[in-house]
Amino acid sequence: MRHRHLGFTLCLLATAAAAQSYRAPRTPDGKPDLQGFWQALNTASFNIEPHSPALGIPGGLGIVADPPDGKIPYKPEAAAQQQQNFRNRAARDPLHKCYSPGVPRMMYLPFPFQIIQTPKFIAITSEYAHTVRNVSLDSKHISDLDFYMGDSRGHWEGETLVVDVTSNNDETWFDAAGNFHSDALHVVERYTRTEPDVLTYEATIEDPKVLTKPFKIAMPLYRHREKNFRLLEYECQAYAEEDQK
Amino acid sequence: MRNSIQRGLLGSLPAVALAVAAFALLPSPGAGQAPQKKGGGEKGVGGAFGKFGPYHQPPYAKGAPVGRTPEGKPDMQGYWEARFNAAIFEVQDHAAKRGIAPGKGAIVDPPDGKIPYQPWAAEKAQDLFEHHIFLEPEAHCYMSGVPHQAYTQFGFQIVQTRGYFVMLWEFAHTYRIIPTDGRPHIPASIKLFMGDPVGHWEGDALVVDTTNENGRSWFDMAGNFTSDHIHVVERFTPVDSNNINFEATIEDPTMYTRPWKIAGNFGRNLEPNYEQMESACVEGNRDPERYVEEEGGKSKKAK
Repeated sequence: MRHRHLGFTLCLLATAAAAQSYRAPRTPDGKPDLQGFWQALNTASFNIEPHSPALGIPGGLGIVADPPDGKIPYKPEAAAQQQQNFRNRAARDPLHKCYSPGVPRMMYLPFPFQIIQTPKFIAITSEYAHTVRNVSLDSKHISDLDFYMGDSRGHWEGETLVVDVTSNNDETWFDAAGNFHSDALHVVERYTRTEPDVLTYEATIEDPKVLTKPFKIAMPLYRHREKNFRLLEYECQAYAEEDQK
Repeated sequence: MRNSIQRGLLGSLPAVALAVAAFALLPSPGAGQAPQKKGGGEKGVGGAFGKFGPYHQPPYAKGAPVGRTPEGKPDMQGYWEARFNAAIFEVQDHAAKRGIAPGKGAIVDPPDGKIPYQPWAAEKAQDLFEHHIFLEPEAHCYMSGVPHQAYTQFGFQIVQTRGYFVMLWEFAHTYRIIPTDGRPHIPASIKLFMGDPVGHWEGDALVVDTTNENGRSWFDMAGNFTSDHIHVVERFTPVDSNNINFEATIEDPTMYTRPWKIAGNFGRNLEPNYEQMESACVEGNRDPERYVEEEGGKSKKAK
């Protein structure tokens, strides 16, 4: 009995070690190859915090990894603003106006995205409203401008692609539940291939105007393995105009 | 000033009118020097609005021999701008008309430079231009479709990686991801603004076959529309490190009496440290509100 229990523990340890020691295939310049089609399999696009199910909304554990309670550490006035956003989400959610989703929201929309990787430049293209993130590597941020998708600059730390995102405007939300940020948003993302078909995504989110302290989100992204998979289109604006006719 | 572009410049009639005025006054930089004689910028719309304007065409600069990617294919990566005469206004050879600068288009076949329309389609294009210019797709921030996307404003970036040839435009952040792995097209029932591109290499030329377009894009700002039966075969042929020749054959038996062909070329953007900025078109678009009723819009005509 005791031996069997030990065997089970060892087996678990071995699995964890295998996951940790996974080494991604390499690009021609020797970097971990993150290319392919990825998509989140969670409910963060509805709400990044833990949430109960509701009509049309599956319940979810959220993707906030720190603080441990899974809640965004809002300042009191920002918490009130989020409640107001939630009540008025049908009119106020920027995605209902077909705006660009911003970072990190693009990464957990229910649409696939593709990573296209070269030594100095990485494009991350989403199927949602043909949103693109241009990630220049080992380059300097620009300043004095704001963008819906921010200004992304990347570098490699071993197996991990680190992307620093500044110059965000205050017109995007984190999710459909009214969780929001200001133009002081600063996101540092970490992309690591931890298994052949898993890209582990972690991000630290700072916003001193809205938060009492930074918080972290984390989630696995899963690889699409369908034969001949490709991004199609979701031209939100065009469909919205048809709907208004 | 070109950063945080928040409007569909092309679709804005005031902007177009201004461009026509600018076109009349400005010389065409680089005229006559393009590597491909026909349909390729010999009478380009030049510097309207200056270096960062929507109708800028790059001066010709001879390049070095074409490099190779790690996969051994011609390396066309970097930032490019289009030279397609005045096709950005109208793809056919055309005289000046409301909002349209006069000039050559990009049609190299038939030799008269005109789209070989069936009569009904010619009538419809005329009607769209005269009475429904409100429907011009770029005014609504729609992606421009194929082959129109090749000669849209502000230039684009080419990124090549194993199995893909990727084009990223600044205007409205449109992208095209062209697989080169020999895969088949998607089912014909799927219709998309940018269609389904499938590429292959013929020597140093990238040949791209595009089907599955939704028939909602135009070739220009002059009402030259498409149907969802359009089939386009493009050839991207690198000339040297600074120049790419482009041609596209367009077929649609429901609209034309015969296939026809456009040609133009792309010049490398040689500005050091150039990067594309965000062009948030949908987010700031006020163009549709400007169209008056006689243009198919909803605004009352200013008295």
